[in-house]
Amino acid sequence: MLILSRKTDELIRINSNIVVKIIAISDSQVKIGIDAPSDIVVLRGEIYEKVKSNTIEAAKQGAQNPNIKLPKLAVNKLKTPNE
Amino acid sequence: MKLKTKQFGELEFNEDRIVKLPEGIIGFENLKDYLLIKTEDELFFWLNSIEEAEIVFPLFAINALDDSYPQVDENEVFGIVTLNPDPAKITVNLKAPVYINLNKMEGYQKILDTDKYSIDYNLFVEGKE
Repeated sequence: MLILSRKTDELIRINSNIVVKIIAISDSQVKIGIDAPSDIVVLRGEIYEKVKSNTIEAAKQGAQNPNIKLPKLAVNKLKTPNE
Repeated sequence: MKLKTKQFGELEFNEDRIVKLPEGIIGFENLKDYLLIKTEDELFFWLNSIEEAEIVFPLFAINALDDSYPQVDENEVFGIVTLNPDPAKITVNLKAPVYINLNKMEGYQKILDTDKYSIDYNLFVEGKE
């Protein structure tokens, strides 16, 4: 892994189209700004890991419950905040 | 072409039935070719890997839940379902939907950049019809 030291307001450039900026530094947290084209996926690492474990579990359950019988339950409609 | 599936037995299909997910499904990035299967009497679609026939994702068409869910032109939007023997515990992933363009037979999974949608949304509620 490439490791770089940066101060507040300093930048890191990745290719010609991605810029990472150190916005603020405190004791245990850094605030980072990222400018990237919209097709570049930027995610907090733990969100990716959560989705990954959910997907792996879905595949496991999908294989185990191929012919699951659903009783008459109503679909749980989403409630949007302004409802 | 033929595919031996656990659930649907041996399926015979033409190449134009293959749904391509060039970036795969998160956690299964190496699997890119799928069959999208829907049986008449079932609520779920099944996204069955062609490369590894035992890998199958139950999918739910999210439109049925919410009209305001993020749409993409010409794409159907599906949530990956985590089944459970207890149907009240069946959840659908609304945070990382799978978009599939059924004309182009191509799709992708996207993690939505919002806290509005849950990764394990309970799909069913009891008592209401």
